[in-house]
Amino acid sequence: MKTLKYWLISGYTKGLIGMAIFYALGFYLIQAMRNASGAEYDPNPGVMIGAIFSVIGFLLFAGVLTDWLKWIVGKRPPLKHGPPQGRPEWTRYINVDNNHKVIGIQYGITGLFVFLVGGLFALTFRLELSQPGMQFLTYKGYNTLFSAHGIVMIVSILLGVGAMSNYLVPLMVGASDMPFPRLNAFSYWVSIPPIVLVLAAMVVGGWDTGWVGYPTLSLRGAIGTQLFLLGFYLFGFSSIASSINIIATVAFMRAPGMSLFRMPIFVWGALSAALIQLTATQTVGISLLLSVMERSFGMTFFDPAAGGQPILYQHLFWFYSHPVVYVFVLPGLGVISELLPVFARKTLFGYKWIALSSLGIALVGFLVWAHHMFVSGMADSLRIPFMVTTLFVAIPTGVKFFSWVATLWEGKISFETPMLFVLGAISVFLIGGITGPILGTIPSDMPLHDSYWIVGHFHATMFGGFVFPYFAAIYYWYPKVTGRMYNEKLGKLHFWLMVPGFWVMSFGQMSAGIAGMRRRIADYDPALGVTGTQILITIAAFVIAWSVIIFVYNLIASARRAPMTNPNPWRSRAPEWQTASPVPELNYDETFEVVGGPYDYGKGTPAYVNMHPAAVPGD
Amino acid sequence: MRKSKHIIAVVILIIISTVVLDALFLFMFQRPAQASTQATIIDNFTNIHFAVQAFLFSLIMVLVLYSVVVFRRKPGEEEEYGAHVEGNTALEITWTILPVIAVVIFGVYAIFILNEILAPQPDEIVVEVNARQWSWSFSYPELDNKVSDELVLLVNQPVVLEMQTEDVIHNFWVTEFRVKQDLLPGSMEVLRFTPTEVGDYRVRCAEICGLQHATMRAPVRVVDQATWDAFQAEMLAQPKIGDLTAVERGELWSQQFGCLGCHSVDGAPGAGPTWLGVYGREETLADGTTITVDDVYLHDSILDPNAVIVEGFNPNIMPANFADRFAEKEAEVMQAEGLEIGIVEDLIEYIKTLQEDTNAN
Amino acid sequence: MSVGTVEDHAEHHGVELSPEQQVKANRFGLWLFFISEIFLFTALLVARFFLWGNTRPELNQVVGLIATSVLLISSFFVYRGETAIEHGDKKRFMSNFLWAALFGTLFFIGVVVLEWNIFGLSGEIAGIEIFGTLKPTDGVFGGVFFAMTGIHALHVLSGILLLLAAWYNGRKNNYSATDNWGVEGTALYWHYVDVVWVFFYPALYLIGTAV
Ligand code: HEA
Ligand code: HEA
Ligand code: CUA
Ligand SMILES: [Cu+2]
Repeated sequence: MKTLKYWLISGYTKGLIGMAIFYALGFYLIQAMRNASGAEYDPNPGVMIGAIFSVIGFLLFAGVLTDWLKWIVGKRPPLKHGPPQGRPEWTRYINVDNNHKVIGIQYGITGLFVFLVGGLFALTFRLELSQPGMQFLTYKGYNTLFSAHGIVMIVSILLGVGAMSNYLVPLMVGASDMPFPRLNAFSYWVSIPPIVLVLAAMVVGGWDTGWVGYPTLSLRGAIGTQLFLLGFYLFGFSSIASSINIIATVAFMRAPGMSLFRMPIFVWGALSAALIQLTATQTVGISLLLSVMERSFGMTFFDPAAGGQPILYQHLFWFYSHPVVYVFVLPGLGVISELLPVFARKTLFGYKWIALSSLGIALVGFLVWAHHMFVSGMADSLRIPFMVTTLFVAIPTGVKFFSWVATLWEGKISFETPMLFVLGAISVFLIGGITGPILGTIPSDMPLHDSYWIVGHFHATMFGGFVFPYFAAIYYWYPKVTGRMYNEKLGKLHFWLMVPGFWVMSFGQMSAGIAGMRRRIADYDPALGVTGTQILITIAAFVIAWSVIIFVYNLIASARRAPMTNPNPWRSRAPEWQTASPVPELNYDETFEVVGGPYDYGKGTPAYVNMHPAAVPGD
Repeated sequence: MRKSKHIIAVVILIIISTVVLDALFLFMFQRPAQASTQATIIDNFTNIHFAVQAFLFSLIMVLVLYSVVVFRRKPGEEEEYGAHVEGNTALEITWTILPVIAVVIFGVYAIFILNEILAPQPDEIVVEVNARQWSWSFSYPELDNKVSDELVLLVNQPVVLEMQTEDVIHNFWVTEFRVKQDLLPGSMEVLRFTPTEVGDYRVRCAEICGLQHATMRAPVRVVDQATWDAFQAEMLAQPKIGDLTAVERGELWSQQFGCLGCHSVDGAPGAGPTWLGVYGREETLADGTTITVDDVYLHDSILDPNAVIVEGFNPNIMPANFADRFAEKEAEVMQAEGLEIGIVEDLIEYIKTLQEDTNAN
Repeated sequence: MSVGTVEDHAEHHGVELSPEQQVKANRFGLWLFFISEIFLFTALLVARFFLWGNTRPELNQVVGLIATSVLLISSFFVYRGETAIEHGDKKRFMSNFLWAALFGTLFFIGVVVLEWNIFGLSGEIAGIEIFGTLKPTDGVFGGVFFAMTGIHALHVLSGILLLLAAWYNGRKNNYSATDNWGVEGTALYWHYVDVVWVFFYPALYLIGTAV
């Protein structure tokens, strides 16, 4: 009962109420103005302004903007830190809170929830696809489901990346928090209304453009298309705000002695990802915003009927949406590099090369966007250079793989659940990665473009570069976050279900694609001979789903276990394992000092960090 | 075990694994038959990719799995650490430079292949492809611009498709020909290939284009010289518009303007109401009222499709520009044959004939 | 899944920023935001060159030139205001910021009322038509022009609000010669929005042949 009450007065509830009020306000304001001027009925402008207002309403009512509004009227409210007064501790997770660890966990739980929703969509349309002919979905229903699956999953990845970066980066560099805690809270809370908008788009007409929203299709679709474009656009604010904080944390809040090349390697991944988010997000934002304006105000950018160029959208869109795939994977690859030395009991091989390859991937990633447009009608003088740059992304990625292999070599490897997921991630990302160059050369891309081969390629890269490492990270840091150990047996069961499930799904998709199965179709031709493969993919999808259910159960059930007695179950050298679990409000008892290398396992040299620098001077 | 022993074992395993994996890839990733010159070239090129991938996958996974098996922590040696190696610059440079070389060679090779499949041929014939939501039509400039809803090609005759779309992006793809090209609104895209196998194929739209993207396909026939000649004769002998009755003209327009992409004539469901028995039917509209379908209703629904919507269907699906396109065609017919026709009226006459009972018998 | 309590704040914490470092971090964060926005404005410029190529619409050169000058003048006031507060001269800071906000508003009005002509007026001063004729629905010319000026005008509007907020905070005695991040940040932002216009103005008004 009490619990319900706290939920009813939580930031989410208040925010959603504010969102509804402001949406109505914006929508009817525009509608009234249009009626007054005698314009024809068109819901697009009203929806546009309503959606933008609704985000403001959400933030206002949830209490994200309170401190800033006070600042404007000349007050200087102190930063709220610490658990809430007069309420149970757990309520800080459902209200606006400025602590980076709370925000990290908020990101994580929201991301997981969104992941389940997106997975549920996939399961639904996978059932439909298990046989040719239409089973229980309409065309409209199918198109909306796969489009929503795509964007919802991408949002869930970005939230997951936010969870890891927010929780871990300040902790790993020895900071007490991020430099701009309020902005940090903003970047989490501003991500909620876009999710609501995208889900709402599904019920008000849906949309059938896929997650890419190409014009001119996006310009003529139902009103759901408008909400989808706006939701996607508004989500960008979250990415940009959060990336500013992460970069600034790395720049200003490292512990004494922690030079750039002595940071835990995950921080490099998070930093490179943040650099991409900071910059590229703006161009996808503008491509979506221009589409929305074209729909709302009759302005022309993309519709050739009035002189526009549909291809311009594709350039602006992919200038972000290619680099963003490295936002998905760089933190994940960081997790792999971070965990391998711990479980191999061996130094990370070639730290500097791994660190710089993250930056390298981020930079080269900016030069390859047009490989998504090889058959779009681009001139050869453009697509050939893009073919060459695309192939070059393989090189920094390869450096990572080879260094991982060298790290494992002659280690003393043990196989707890996080390590299993790391090894799974390496194999899965490898198959995803090497199916990339085959798409990167134009002749071999021609038959594969927009076929299920692509679907196989990107599920492999995203599972290998994000999903598997993310699961590894959750298992690995679960004791840190909760102070309790997860159930190892269930963890292993999760892994051994998910790995075969994934391989069957991904190889199934690739083989269906090469046999001629197109993407984004509600129904396929039995003559292609892929029906058997499709059934396999669907079964595999359900196996993955079961493994995920076991995982979620494990997380919840293990939170009730006895507190852990061992403060450092992995015998890690990393600083976050030298402080209490759960982590204190301001992370460390004292500002520590870096005295060694982060991964010098077995070197016999001193620890990585000295937790009591003042007490042991010059030791 | 000595170091060299490890290395010999690994090298042998990698070689075996590469061979096995390459075979497995070729078995798992089976492609449809090759029916164009381009298909052969592309498949051979793709096979090189497969071999390289098999090698790279083996290289890394053999090393990983070997380490997992050989360097796992055995019971009883709990506190031991692995060997201490911080890195090796020579190694790092090697595995940076070698892939660079590989990638450059591959890139250059791909450019040659690309030029080979795109190269214009001396005696190409042109076919114009028109796409719209959600149907295809093909017109043959060399056959008096006659229009067909089936693509017929002469075997071993290089062809260049000049492709245009009336609404959104579509993509021309026949799996057996391998090559693929988007159709961009507002510009003409070309696609070249030489069909090499006589047979029946299908063009399938490979770019999401809305509701019925899944079913946007059309038959493609690659024929031998005799059939081709017959086809040419048949196309050229197509009667003049003036020789057709209104109902026959209506049927022709329904194909040429892509009506049948959404409206079936046999009662099958589609993006729009089926035409079978629609004339005289009582329809419930989206706002709950009912009407009887008559000439006026059909006329208005064709020219201003969003004005009233039948329950269960969506607005903004059907193009609203038919009035203009009909006028254009009517003027064309007027110029060619001096004949005054009304396309809407023809269509209505055609729709009237589509009745349940006449078909049943 | 809980975060321990704050005990003695003074003693238990990881790296924290001193007030001076915090200002440095703020400055850095703001610059990061600018870098981010560069991509937004560049994307708009790309759209302009993609769609207009070497042409541009017939625009009101006089209004454009005056609006640009007005914006540059406002930047000058902002600069003077900022220097004033750095010397602790509160009065001069406040009046300069108010002037800047006024000129900023003039620019905003110039764009919205004259160039966009949202009230649909017409009229001449000294024989020159001062109200724009281009409409957002006028093909790519209208689209790109309104998108670029509109997104820039939104930045100007937020800048004006910031200037006023800084002015109000000045009135509340919240700034001193040493503690004036609010002023500095606002000034930086205003200059930035100004510089963006320096790129937009020629792209819209000068480059290419008018058709
Ligand atoms: C996490 C996501 C992720 C990642 C990491 C990648 C990585 C890569 N992707 Fe992928 N890609 C997607 C997600 C991702 N992609 C998505 C979502 C789409 C579809 C979008 C849509 O249309 O909806 C897509 C589509 C896509 C296309 C467009 C296909 C088409 O639509 O026609 C292309 C074409 O070039 C491509 C290429 C590549 C390449 C070259 C890499 C490289 O980064 C891979 C590099 C890695 C390796 C190569 C393996 C390891 C390296 C070595 C062992 C060293 C030696 C190797 C060599 C010498 C080759 N991808
Ligand atoms: C992180 C990204 C991600 C992830 C994890 C997945 C996961 C899955 N994806 Fe998806 N997928 C995309 C990103 C992702 N996908 C993208 C970007 C597209 C492109 C969209 C486009 O074309 O525009 C796509 C498209 C796509 C297609 C192509 C659709 C088409 O072109 O027509 C297919 C088809 O098989 C597919 C299948 C699956 C399956 C079976 C899973 C499975 O792994 C899912 C497993 C299931 C779960 C994880 C859910 C388990 C949960 C429950 C059973 C309980 C739920 C409970 C509650 C809600 C409380 N995906
Ligand atoms: Cu046409 Cu898909
Ligand atoms: Cu890409």
